[in-house]
Amino acid sequence: MDILGAWIAVFLTLAIFSFLYKDNPFYKIAEHLFVGISAGYWMSFNFWTQIQPNLFGRLWPSEHYSDSSLWYGIYDMLGFVARPIFPAGGIDMGHDLHMIYLFPMVLGIMMLLSIYKPLNWMARWGIAYTVGMAAGLRAYGILNSNVLGQVKNTIIPVIGTDLPFFSLTGDSYFNNLIILVGTVTGLLYFYFSREQTGNFGKVTKVGIYFLMISFGASFGFAVMGRISLLIGRLLDLIKYSGSEFHHASIWVLVAMIVLLGYSAYQERESSS
Amino acid sequence: MLWKRQIPIMIVSGIGFATLLGWFIDQPTFKSFVDDDATQWFDILAAFAIFLGGLNLFKLQMQKILRKKKGWQYSLFAIGGLIFALLAGFVIKGNPEAAWGSHVTAKGTLFKWMFNYMVAPMQATMFALLAFYVASASYRAFRIRNFEATLLLSSGIIIMIGRVPLGSYISSWFILYLLVLIGGIVVNSFFKNKQYTAIFVGAGIILVSVAGNSMGWPLDEPGIFYLPYLQEWIYRYPNSAGSRSIMIGIGLGIFGTSIRYILGIERSYIGE
Amino acid sequence: MMNYLIEMILKLAKVDRRWIFLIIGLVVLIPLMYPLSLPVRAGKDSQQVYDFVESLEPNSKILLSVEYGPSTKPEIHPMVTSLLRHLFGLKRGHKVYVTCLWADGQFMAEEALDEVAVNEYGLTYGEDFVLLGFRPGAEAVVKGIVSDIRKVFTIDAKGTKLAEIPMMEGVNRFEDFDFLFSGSAGYPGTTEWVLFASDPTGVPMSTGTTSIIVNEMMPYVLGGQIQGILAGMPGAAEYEKLIGVKGIGTSGMDAQSAAHFVIVIFIFLGNLGYFIERKRSKKHQGY
Repeated sequence: MDILGAWIAVFLTLAIFSFLYKDNPFYKIAEHLFVGISAGYWMSFNFWTQIQPNLFGRLWPSEHYSDSSLWYGIYDMLGFVARPIFPAGGIDMGHDLHMIYLFPMVLGIMMLLSIYKPLNWMARWGIAYTVGMAAGLRAYGILNSNVLGQVKNTIIPVIGTDLPFFSLTGDSYFNNLIILVGTVTGLLYFYFSREQTGNFGKVTKVGIYFLMISFGASFGFAVMGRISLLIGRLLDLIKYSGSEFHHASIWVLVAMIVLLGYSAYQERESSS
Repeated sequence: MLWKRQIPIMIVSGIGFATLLGWFIDQPTFKSFVDDDATQWFDILAAFAIFLGGLNLFKLQMQKILRKKKGWQYSLFAIGGLIFALLAGFVIKGNPEAAWGSHVTAKGTLFKWMFNYMVAPMQATMFALLAFYVASASYRAFRIRNFEATLLLSSGIIIMIGRVPLGSYISSWFILYLLVLIGGIVVNSFFKNKQYTAIFVGAGIILVSVAGNSMGWPLDEPGIFYLPYLQEWIYRYPNSAGSRSIMIGIGLGIFGTSIRYILGIERSYIGE
Repeated sequence: MMNYLIEMILKLAKVDRRWIFLIIGLVVLIPLMYPLSLPVRAGKDSQQVYDFVESLEPNSKILLSVEYGPSTKPEIHPMVTSLLRHLFGLKRGHKVYVTCLWADGQFMAEEALDEVAVNEYGLTYGEDFVLLGFRPGAEAVVKGIVSDIRKVFTIDAKGTKLAEIPMMEGVNRFEDFDFLFSGSAGYPGTTEWVLFASDPTGVPMSTGTTSIIVNEMMPYVLGGQIQGILAGMPGAAEYEKLIGVKGIGTSGMDAQSAAHFVIVIFIFLGNLGYFIERKRSKKHQGY
């Protein structure tokens, strides 16, 4: 199975890379497979790691299982249909019974029902919950760490300490001044309620320069990151070109080059 | 209208306020609900949203096949992939020793095989494609049109070369000679006089050579022209100043937007 | 001669981009097959992470959060495996608790733990390390771990109840940990740990991130909210150098160096062509 898997992995990798030559059926097949398999993968994974243990596990915990209970009667009926999801005797995940979890179950089912156009609006309740939750969580955290924390860290000594005037690798007056001036002028650039002309314009110009240095560094890091991803793929292809995988990378590459070359030749013939 | 508009807005405001106030209220039941149950509901709804996404994909791809739209044959691969992933997730375990639930991560299961040889390679390759596009963009699009663009590219190049082992091999003196040549180009563009340019470049080369000779041509002196030190300085000081100002600006924006959501002013989640 | 050179440069500026793709592909592939073994120099930020791990008290409880998938594995996996080697190699009784904010992270964590904890050090699951697993919810999960870890995780990734795992004794909330390391490729990740866990509680943390998001983390590093950062594959290579065990990070640096060098040449040639073209069009306009 590992060797079959290796050949499939190589085919899918080279099929996606073939897009660099031009859009072609290999790429389209791989792209559609990627979309379908990823969706199924995420659905399965989230069901088994969240919905089954945390939702069903709290609504029907094994600790409170009772043959005579109506609530567990419903569970047994569900178990009759899907025993792997609803094992006999309740779900043993260490949870207590929390009937309040009917709320997220109802909201979740409403979300799923929204797939029918007339019931589209049902998803809004679940979405509203997640939006409200995220907004409340982020408001405090962002203000505390990203705003107040960063402002606090910008208040650094620029005169009257034992620091050297300039140091390439450590703290110094000059470096602290650069941070202070860069942060303040960069922030001033984002103040659009006033026209950026005159002295204010000169200050914001300095801010733009600091922002450009920052974007340039981001560009450098972005290039670094993308090349690293390519290195990872090529390392796998090199591994799968070995004899233990029957030189999968080489055979698949040759086959694709031949087929794509032939198709390009046919296209040229038919156009001429 | 109540179900489709007012109730979602009330949910956002209610949950948003509860989550925000959860940071400030120490009452045990309230805090337990906000910190534990409310966050669990968030997780559960996120899982349902993923399910909804998968169902939507199925619906759209089936519509494409049934209506025989352009490229409908490829949609068969998407549906096939989805069904295969769901079979691996809910029907065919592949490893009888793994329990349902932990089979999504256990070794030897069909689900794990699918992840290792299909999901992982395709996901990684899609991202690896970006390396090629970044190289192509660098060649065809990045132009030094003005001073800001020059700053951006210079800091990007210094970071890219200084961060990798190759940068350690480039002597500071090479950079100094390069700067003398660039200075010559600048002098020529200002004065448009070949004599001035020649004098500037000649004098520059002589000065650098004399300095280098007297210092014994050390690789990493003067430190400010040694790329690894220079990139570290740029990365830690001017670049951080720019990033910090962006972070504070974005932080204030996120805080403002979160408050707008909680107060019901922003209603984009219901399409308004 | 000069005119010929100028025409060549102008022609190169208009070359089909598929030739650029081919050059980049070869420039990355060849050093991977025939390594140059260029030496790596550890930077200040990687050194800071290393020094902090060295300074941990014996029997520290370390929370390792794994937030990357197959696409970003080349950058962060070497960091995670190096960190595990460092922690277990110190033989100071450090206990490692692994959690994942990304679903794929659980597979990556399993691979790293199998490679280092099980195969290299022969450590015992449940006594020296434990994989708590993935839970969806991003910052909600982080908040949950801060307040009560047993509400978020009732069972670990293998399905064992937390109460039955020996090393979970006395570990109930985030403040029971001595150090957090987040191996992060984006959202949710390092930022969420800083905002909702490390900064509010004061538990120190370090991070290793992909090169793309390093710049976003720098303000936290400079402000002391994060103790050092491993920046992308170069950061992974630097950490491998510091612990003295070479891995994928180091072997990838030759290819990284070559690719960066070639991209800089591309930028230079592209701009050369642009300036020549601009000068010509100015001459024509003037004429």
